[in-house]
Parts: sequence; C-alpha cells; structure tokens
Amino acid sequence: MSCSPYSPNDYKTDLKPVWCPGCGDFGVLNSVYRALADLHCEPQETVVVSGIGCSSRLPGYVETYGVNSLHGRALPIATGVKLARPNLTVLALGGDGDGIAIGGNHFMHAARRNVDIAYFMMDNEIYGLTKGQAAPTTPAGDKTKSTIYGNPEVSVDPCALAISFGATWVGRAFSGDVKGTTELMKQAISHHGFAFLNILSPCVTWRGDDQFKELRAKFRAMPADHDRADRNAALGLTNENENLTAGILYEIQRPTLVDEMMEIRDRAIGQAPPPGRDDILRTFAPAM
Amino acid sequence: MHELTFAFVGAGGDGAVTAGDILAGVCASQGLHVIKTEAYGPQIRGGESSSTVRVSMTPIYAQADAVDVLVVFSWADFARFKDEMLLAADAVIFHESGDAPPEEMSTRTCHPVAFAKLAKEVGAPKSKNVIAVGLVTARFGLPLDVTRHAISRRFARKAEAVIDANLRAFDCGVTEEQTLPRGGKEPLTYASSEPRLLMSGNEASAFAAIHAGCRFFAGYPITPSSEILHFLSEWLPKIGGSSLQTEDELSAIGAVIGASFAGTKAMTATSGPGLSLMSELLGLSSMAEVPVVIVNVQRGGPSTGLPTASEQSDLFHAVYGSHGDTPRVVIACSDVESSFHATVDAFNIAEEYQVPVIVMSDQSIAQRRETITAGVLEHEVYERRVATPDELHEYRRYRETADGVSPMSVPGISGGMYQTNGLEHDEQGRPNSSFAVHEAMNAKRFRKLAAIADRYRMFDRFGATRPDVGILCWGSTTGVVREALARMSDGDRVGVFAPRMLAPLPTRDLQAFIDSCASLLVVEVSYSAQFTQHLRTQVDLPRATTTVYSRSGGKTLAASEVEAELRRIFVNRSQEVLV
Repeated sequence: MSCSPYSPNDYKTDLKPVWCPGCGDFGVLNSVYRALADLHCEPQETVVVSGIGCSSRLPGYVETYGVNSLHGRALPIATGVKLARPNLTVLALGGDGDGIAIGGNHFMHAARRNVDIAYFMMDNEIYGLTKGQAAPTTPAGDKTKSTIYGNPEVSVDPCALAISFGATWVGRAFSGDVKGTTELMKQAISHHGFAFLNILSPCVTWRGDDQFKELRAKFRAMPADHDRADRNAALGLTNENENLTAGILYEIQRPTLVDEMMEIRDRAIGQAPPPGRDDILRTFAPAM
Repeated sequence: MHELTFAFVGAGGDGAVTAGDILAGVCASQGLHVIKTEAYGPQIRGGESSSTVRVSMTPIYAQADAVDVLVVFSWADFARFKDEMLLAADAVIFHESGDAPPEEMSTRTCHPVAFAKLAKEVGAPKSKNVIAVGLVTARFGLPLDVTRHAISRRFARKAEAVIDANLRAFDCGVTEEQTLPRGGKEPLTYASSEPRLLMSGNEASAFAAIHAGCRFFAGYPITPSSEILHFLSEWLPKIGGSSLQTEDELSAIGAVIGASFAGTKAMTATSGPGLSLMSELLGLSSMAEVPVVIVNVQRGGPSTGLPTASEQSDLFHAVYGSHGDTPRVVIACSDVESSFHATVDAFNIAEEYQVPVIVMSDQSIAQRRETITAGVLEHEVYERRVATPDELHEYRRYRETADGVSPMSVPGISGGMYQTNGLEHDEQGRPNSSFAVHEAMNAKRFRKLAAIADRYRMFDRFGATRPDVGILCWGSTTGVVREALARMSDGDRVGVFAPRMLAPLPTRDLQAFIDSCASLLVVEVSYSAQFTQHLRTQVDLPRATTTVYSRSGGKTLAASEVEAELRRIFVNRSQEVLV
C-alpha cells in the first residue's frame, strides 16, 4: 500500500526494546508497525493496551496512545477505552501467561462480549520476564524452572479457548513470518468484533535456540478448503499434534458490544430527547 | 407528638415493606422529614422482613433508637428482629389477633387486630398491610385522603379490581381503628409543607455521578452497593453513556481506568470484598495518574462477613490498601445528602488532580431512604485539565509541576500521544527504575495530596466552641452523634469534629480541634478502632484524656450508646474536679 500516508517507521518511538537478541517479539513489533501503516491508522486515534510480561512492553515502542498496564488486565482496560470512545482503534496485546493464566477470566468475557478490539497474544509457551517458569501453554512434561521434574499439567491451545469463548475472529500466526503475521494483524484489526490472533513467538532465552526452527517446521499453510465460518472445522485446527496451521481459523459476524450499547441507548430512549436533571429527580417524588 | 417511628414486621408476602413505602411516601409528600430502613432475614425470597419509618417535623439525622408504633403480622418473624428493634416504653403494638404475643410483651400496649380475617372479608386477602396502613394513618394523625390516593397510585399499574380491593382494605383499616381502645402514643401534630423527595444513599451517589458528568460506569454486583449499578444501567444509556456489568471487580475498575484514560468521566461502585480486588488496579490509577472514582459501601467484614449490615471497618483498606506508596483520596459520606456531595467532590478531585478517589459510604446510609429536597442537590462541577497547545509542545505527560498535576492528554489529540505505565516512569512516561526518578515521581504524586488538603478542608464541625468533651467521628456515625447531642440537656458541653476527607486528613483543623477540647471521645463502628488508629498516625491524640467507643457492626449505632458514653465521661470529669 504505497499510498499510505504513514510508513512503518512513523510508528516507532525512541525507546529501544528491552527484549533479548533473537526474541520472537521483534518480529511481532515489526508486524504491528507495518499493519498500522498499511491500514492508515491515525496514531492519535489508536490505543495499544498491554498487560505485564516481556511482550507487554510493546506499547512503549509504538507511537500511538498506549497503556502498559498490570499483569492480566489489558482486556478490561481496552474494553473501557473502546466503550468510552468507540471510534478509536484499540489493540490489546500481551503474553500467553498474561492472557490465559492471570487474565484468563477477562479473555473469556471480552471474547463473549465481542468487544471490537484486536487482541494479539504473543505466545512463547513460557514465562520469560520472571525467568523461565511454566505457563498454561507449556507442553506437558517440559522441564522449566518451576517444573524441575517435568510439567505435570496439560497445555491449552489459546485458539481453542478463543473460539469456545465466543470470539468472532480467530487466527494463528508465526512471528518468524513477518509478512504473514502482518496480513493477519490487518485482518484482525479490520474485523468488526473481537479478533484474537495467537502469534507463536519464540523465547530463545528460556525455550532454547531451537524453538524458532521447531516452530517453523511445524507451521503449515491453511488448507484451501477450510470453511472459516464452520466452528467445528475451526476447532479441528486447534490442539493439533504434528502441525500448527497458520491463517484465519474462524470468522463470523455478530453485533459487537458497542453495537449492543447503541441498541440499548435506542431502546432506553428512542427518539425522545435525553432526560434532564428534573426528569431524573421526578422519579424520587413519592407517587401522589 | 412531633415525631414518631413506625415499624411493620411480617413474613414475605405480608407486605411489611410496601406498608413502610406507602407511609414514607405520604409523609414525604406532606413535607415531613423521613428516614426509612428495611431489614430482611437471610432468605433470598420470602422469609421475614421489616420496614421502619421515622417521621419528624424537624430535621433528623439517623434512625430512632426505639419504635413507637409496631405492626406485627407474625411474632415468629418479629423474633428475628427483636434484638435490633427496640421498642419505646410507651410503644403501641398492633398484631395479628390469631397470633398471641410472646410473654415479654405482656406489659406492653398490644391491640389484637384480625388483619387476615378482615382482609378476606373485604375481598382483599393479600392486603393485610394496607389495612395496617389505614389503621395507623387514622390513629396517628396522617391525612386519610392523601394516603388513600397514594394507595391508588401505588397500585396504578395493576388491574382496576386490585386498586379497588386495596382501597377497601384501607377503608377497613380506618374503620377498624375506631373499635380499638385509645391510649398510648399521641397522634403526630405537624404543619404540612413542600413535598420532599425520597432517596437512598446509593441513589444519591449514582445521581451525583450523572450530575458530575460521569458517562461510563462498570461494576460487579455486590450487596449493599448494587443499587448504584441498577440506577446507572437505567439512566446512563438515556444520556449517551454506558454501563457495563463486568466479570469481577478487577475488570470493573480496569474498564473504568480505560474509559477515563480515553477522556470520559468514569466510576465504579463496590463493597469491601470488591475493594479488596480493586486494590491492585487502584495502584495503577495512582501510578499512571488516571482519574477514577470508586464508591465503597461498607458492610460487616472481613471476608464475606455480614453482607447486609453496616460497619466502618474498610477504613484501613481504603486509606492504606495497596502495595507501594500509593497516593489516593478518601472521602466520607454521613447521610443521603452528603452521599451526593461526596460523590461530586470525588469526581472534581479525581479529574483535577488525576488521582483515584474512594467515596466511603456504608450500608446504613446507602440503603436507607431519606427525605431530601432537589434544591440541595446542587454542586459545582470541575473538569479535567487537558493539555493546552503550549503544553503539547515537546509534550511530557508526567512533567514536574508545583502541585504535582501534569497536563493530561487524551486519545484524539495529535500532539499528545504517550504510552503510560504501571512501571515507574520518567516525565515522558518511559519506564525507569532509577532511584532518582522513583524518588522524584513519588514526590510529584504525593504533592497532589498536599495541594488537595490545602484546597479542600473537608470536615463537619458542630456543637460547643471550647468543648468539655470533643467527639471525633466519621461517616454515618456523625448523624447518630448529632441526634445524641440534640436530646441531651447538657449536650452543649460537647463539640464534634467529623472529617469528611479521611485521606489526606485535614490535620491542621483536626489538631486545633483536639487541642481545644478538655477531653475527647472517639466514636466508631469498628471492633479494632480503625479510625482511632488512623487518627493516631496523623495527629497528636492525648492518650490520658481520650476515650474510645468502638464496637463491631451488625447492629445500628444508637444515639443512646453515645449518650451513655458521654454521661460516663461527664461523671468521671466531675470526680476529677472534686479530687
């Protein structure tokens, strides 16, 4: 999109990322810059909200409005931003522990409400910032700093959760594929409703140098005949054993939370003028 | 009589609460002062319920200590409330004639009335309560025609037959009254005046939010604050706002922070257990300097505690709860009217100083209905100071200023983009964990509190100028203290100081008051005396001359308790003088 008034560089702040060399999140950040530029997102009309974790540092690197909030709380804050100012473009992002462990309840309800935001989960299957403990996405049996004898818990596929929770757009991407991730981000941001993009983003420090290679080997393209409106077909592309399928798993349309709020305003008042102070106070007068 | 307290007690379906509503409405319409409370057993539906209506010619500030006129549909249900419902020595009792009074009522004036039988006879079997309303209206000098009309309005949405049946029940009560012996309490004598509104503390807070310009509310249902959620979910959509019921209190305050960051005045409301969850994001609001208003309606604690009873034991939590050094403002309300003013003040302070503000209410204020006039529901509203074009030049969101308040930008302003942070940050909002920045930013954030304390000297001061006994109290306790002083012949020896801002405390005024008193009495409804302890951290409260009256919640604080405590101090002081 050469006609964009913005180049990816326009979205860069002067802050240098704190991430380790080789971190998958660099690829995600580059994709965010490109997606915003390609979509002509006005920086001042865009809000990027994150939780806490390595990946949640990302809003500091994006020249828009941003909130690097608390662990797990990106989605409630993003929901408040969107409801208060429906015309803003709102991105929420963070890690897998942030979104599924401590913020799991918010993930469920933001998806269910179909809040019109794009939620990018940078999934490295580990807690990076706290230096290497098991996450809900860490495969069973894996040895980590908190699972010395092997992870006793089964892992979850974030995409399966998102579909079950009622997200209306669910995709999976690999941060090593900046071009592909950018395209999926653009579709997620453009989607009218809650769009969830799980981005497998390797942690070279705590998951080893080979995670990049292993993930790249597992990723495969979306089968041409996949019906993304088919919920069962979409779920069929989650919890895969050998592969990770990239692309849009699921996409449907239903009214967003903002749509519903507008509808509620209409139901509450219709064409009548908004009530004033006296109209409200009158309801406290004893019925005589 | 210039004032009377009526109580109706029965099982679910007896209509005790409806009877109280009708009576309260009639009295409010006559310009009388009314305080109405309800109490329920633990059942969600059905079970025992009671409604107490205090009516007076002159202003009142709390529930009465004792009931003057009691209507009992079932003594078994009354037994549940008898510890909390004291009867005046000359109380008049009307009870269901089929239900013999218990032994302890044998010395009292009890009139058996065949409520159930009469209701059936007039073809209104569900309207025992309306018969009772007719009876007490006739006996105690309330206007029959006004009450009759109020009953038809009360049931206006029902079928014509229902209205007629209730009017027959009312007339039956009026007739029945004439068959009962005279004696006991005299009728109410009063001159009617302009009708008053009836409003609860929760409704006053919610109305205040709308008055202050709040257009976003998020909350999670919790007793005894849910009426705020109910009210705002009805009215905000009508005025272009939104109300969101969230999945928990973390999400509620999170959404409020988001809305406020985006430039919309926003509020949440909760009770102790919810405030516990909110303390995490309260810290973010304080650190990122995003205005939020939290109404906390206290109930008995800790843990699930006593969800439907009042207590003043969330004070520490509101004032100190959070990790880190977390400036916030805490404001108290002491009655329904002050619930309105406190909430508007909270918005004004939050928006102007970019701090979290907690409004401390409690169950006894929040859920009682009180008469109020529209005229007092006025309060100046201040707006957020949004960054000017000059300030947007080389914009620094957290720029150091004299009062600690930095120019705030909101999304949509092209030169004002910033990335805020729960991490410690520099003037531009960039994460920074150096000592120098942390110290400077702590100082900047706390400077706002000093500025607020200077500008808002929020306290109630009444009674003696140079008190023999100075009472220190806060919140709903203030009204009870006022009542106690009003009825004591030597109440003029007592002066009262009740801070309306609990953090930061108005320390200079507070210390001056303390120093002006010969002795002191702290009154609070908290077992561990949180208010006393809070005062001790901020002012010099002389131990030798200070008495503390603090007890658990679960029972309404009575003026007689305060009076008894004052009597004890008066006696001790006179003995000291003799020695």
